[in-house]
Amino acid sequence: MLRMRSLLPPLLFTLAYAGISLGVTNSYYQLILTLVPVWAVFGLSWNLLSGYTGLISFGHAAFFGIGAYATALGQIYFDISPWLLIPVAAMLGGIAGLLIGFPTFRLQGHYFALAMLAYPLAILYVFEWLGFQEVTLPIKRDAPIAYMQFSDPHIYTLLGLAIMLATIVLTQVIERSRFGMALLAIKQNEAAAEAAGINTLAWKLRAITLSGAIAAAIGGFYVQVLLVVTPQSVFGMLVSAQALTVAMFGGVGTVWGPVIGSVILIPLAEILHAEAGARIPGIQGVIFGLAIVCVILLAPEGLFWKLRDLLRKRNASKATASVTPETAVANVTALKPAARQRAATGEVVLEVRNLSRSFGGLKAVQDVSFKLQKNEILGIIGPNGAGKTTLFNLLNGFLKPSQGEVLIDGRNMSGQRPHVICEAGIGRTFQVMRPFLRMSILDNVVVGAYVRARSDAEARKLAADAVARVGLSAVANRVAGELSTKELRLMELARAIAGQPRILLLDETLAGLGHGEADEVVAVIQQLARDGMTIAIIEHTMQAMVRLVDRFLVLDHGAVITEGLPEVVTRDNRVIEAYLGKKWVGHAAN
Amino acid sequence: MNKTSKGGISKGLTRRTVLSGAAAVGLAGVARAQAPSEIKVGLIVPLSGIYTRPGQVMKMGAEMGIEHINAQGGIKALGGAKLKLVVIDCGDTTEKAKNAAQRMVAQEPDLVAATGSYLSSFTLAVTEVTERAELPVLTLSYSDLLTDRGFKYIFQTAATASRQSELGLPTLMKLAENASGKKPKTVAMLMDNTATSVATAKALKEKLLAQEGLQLVVEEVWTPPLSDATPLIQKVRSAKPDLLLFMPNAVSDAKLGLEKISEFGLGQGKIPTVSFSITIAEPDMLQSVSPETVQGIMTIVANWGSKGHEALIAELKAKYKEPWMTQNVISTYGDMWLMKEALEKAGKADRNSVAQAFRTMDAGPSKYYPGGQLKFDEKGRRVGAGVVIVQGQSGVPVTVYPPELAQAQPFWPKKS
Repeated sequence: MLRMRSLLPPLLFTLAYAGISLGVTNSYYQLILTLVPVWAVFGLSWNLLSGYTGLISFGHAAFFGIGAYATALGQIYFDISPWLLIPVAAMLGGIAGLLIGFPTFRLQGHYFALAMLAYPLAILYVFEWLGFQEVTLPIKRDAPIAYMQFSDPHIYTLLGLAIMLATIVLTQVIERSRFGMALLAIKQNEAAAEAAGINTLAWKLRAITLSGAIAAAIGGFYVQVLLVVTPQSVFGMLVSAQALTVAMFGGVGTVWGPVIGSVILIPLAEILHAEAGARIPGIQGVIFGLAIVCVILLAPEGLFWKLRDLLRKRNASKATASVTPETAVANVTALKPAARQRAATGEVVLEVRNLSRSFGGLKAVQDVSFKLQKNEILGIIGPNGAGKTTLFNLLNGFLKPSQGEVLIDGRNMSGQRPHVICEAGIGRTFQVMRPFLRMSILDNVVVGAYVRARSDAEARKLAADAVARVGLSAVANRVAGELSTKELRLMELARAIAGQPRILLLDETLAGLGHGEADEVVAVIQQLARDGMTIAIIEHTMQAMVRLVDRFLVLDHGAVITEGLPEVVTRDNRVIEAYLGKKWVGHAAN
Repeated sequence: MNKTSKGGISKGLTRRTVLSGAAAVGLAGVARAQAPSEIKVGLIVPLSGIYTRPGQVMKMGAEMGIEHINAQGGIKALGGAKLKLVVIDCGDTTEKAKNAAQRMVAQEPDLVAATGSYLSSFTLAVTEVTERAELPVLTLSYSDLLTDRGFKYIFQTAATASRQSELGLPTLMKLAENASGKKPKTVAMLMDNTATSVATAKALKEKLLAQEGLQLVVEEVWTPPLSDATPLIQKVRSAKPDLLLFMPNAVSDAKLGLEKISEFGLGQGKIPTVSFSITIAEPDMLQSVSPETVQGIMTIVANWGSKGHEALIAELKAKYKEPWMTQNVISTYGDMWLMKEALEKAGKADRNSVAQAFRTMDAGPSKYYPGGQLKFDEKGRRVGAGVVIVQGQSGVPVTVYPPELAQAQPFWPKKS
């Protein structure tokens, strides 16, 4: 049902567009109508990689141009029909995506963007060197349709539309699936995504392969429209920029963004060129540039998001009376903190042996050994810089230990990638929260569920369960951007438990919470433990911890000082010294 | 139009209404063409972006041509109908050129012929459209590819790039030998990688250099725009060739290169410099570099204001403040006369008849293009199209070859 509902708007849009196109008899307007879906598809292909993963590609012209030249040269030298060549071009684009992605995904942020910029420029020179400065498609007067050379320009528009519809639907399917969720998670925080069980490199490679294939296919089609290929016109900076422009103008990370951008910008540019350019040559560029600058200033994430936010706001102000978050939140408090029977079953689920990690000369973690027993809550405390978070990073695979072993259920997992460790049953939350602000609570949590779920439906069910367990069911459909710190902490908790881990690593889950709020979160954690979860928690607030944990592990300067029951540990002089300094040891004893 | 295109889906009806309105206007245009008191010819050239300047100059030539033709009684075969110029900006990219061409054939259904579009890449894209619309196009672009596609509606008035180097280089060598007493032996070639340069270089390397006994000692290629000419000129300086072939197609590149040549002390004939395009002789060049920098530099071009064009040159100077008449002006001016010729021959203001007239035309020696006849071969190349050699002399590029068109005697820069 969800599918149908999401399919309807693009279908209606395409039909309406086709209707308009068929009503247009002027071949020039028809050409513009053909170019709109072309650039929309190119924008969509960019969006698939950069919009969803947040890894900005300045070099999508590489794929576009490869597709364009493959289609043109295939016709010239091998006399193959573009009907065949465009799928071949898509394959080549996909391969190029894989080849480019594999080395380039080692880079992040600006470095990734800059490296991507280099590919089309480098390929441009290769094609110039090969002597393909100007390539024109041979006219096939005897078999025009077999070579995609229609005398009726409507057909180009309809073909372009078909490709656009296919790309929209594909994007929508991806957006809603594990694929899209994985990409979004990567966009928000790649490390957190790894920790949530997502094999980030694999998903990114899939994204760039698919993106490259789409870009190459539309590049191939573009050649059929343009008829002339020059390296500049398919590999040039302006081509890469075109993908960014339509997507950023319309809205990044949504299927409608590039479509909106293209529907507005492509005709606008042409009209300016035809109308203003004839009177004041060059003015079209100025107006076009200004229009883009204004939109980016007013709607930095693109028109789509701006409009959606405005609509949401209007709907929200209408419906303030009906939905009261207060009552919903009250459910959380309903979970009363209750004393838990200490469940010392004695079964060891996580064992750490002589774990060490140094950064240059700094020994962040040295020779740490401890055992985590099934269903216990272990509190890991220590002053700032004691190595607590580093320890967690070693446990869940962000860092490789210099020495030592991490055994999960007796299997040595040290040095494995985070998503592998997540699959083995370790979930974690972060000191700094990484919510996906534009997504609903439920969608945020779904990301974490995929590590266990085989299907999208199962993932949603697991996610709904997890949301219920932290007591956020009533607000599950609100976007994360509207939540309080406490709700966000709970949501992160839900995301971690949605993957059904057996061991949960909580990094300062109570940080930034008020007194009453901390109690509510503590209650949830206790409930999780009652349900059989094994938990290791890092925390500064001693008070809350004493009531929560079964056992303390105290770290200082990366090493274990002591380990034991809360009552014992808090009176230990070494602990007091580590926290407060030597001179307080005497005072504390009294 | 502006409003409707933004309308998207919801305003589909409005858009359609307006567009059909536009189509109706077009039809009215057709109806008007039946009684040809006015015949439209097109000029599709870059009027925005980095190639604006040549486009503007071509427009001057076209305007002058139309003015002269109309002043002399218009198209006599059509009852003295007047020519009207339709100017279309083809922008600065291949895609824009293609769109502009589509706009031209869609919006101006009663055009009978057009001329354009400066850069051969643009002309390629434009003629892909005009060929399908069966609109004859004259062009001064000289890429061989233009007339190698089997097209029926393109007519190339200039000698093709490979032909130009075939014609130009031997002549140049003769000039060198006559003036300096010895034949150059080594040559350096600096070129950008635009299609025309590449075609010229191909002809030179494959055949002509060997034929003239020249040894290629430096060959460097850049992609416009050139950001720094130092490494190029350094190579030339250390190789000390007898001849430098410098082939830029953008004024900024030419300026950078020539200034660097001058800065390295290779200018003013220390290394005789020859170009293969009009860039180096464009008026803008001399606005940005000193006359000494271009003194003695020769370029082989497809056309130039020459002997016999004095009145035209004077008019151009008076009317448009242009210091001299480049290929772009004279060829486009000539194109208007050629269109008139075809219209007279066709006796109909109809694009197909005009195209047929171009194909079958045999109007004797050409007045506004160097050498050959006003006649096209089956490829659409002007029969016998020749070249002109132009040399910078006291700040003005003057025609020095062929002798019948020469405005001044050539001098070969001497090594000092």
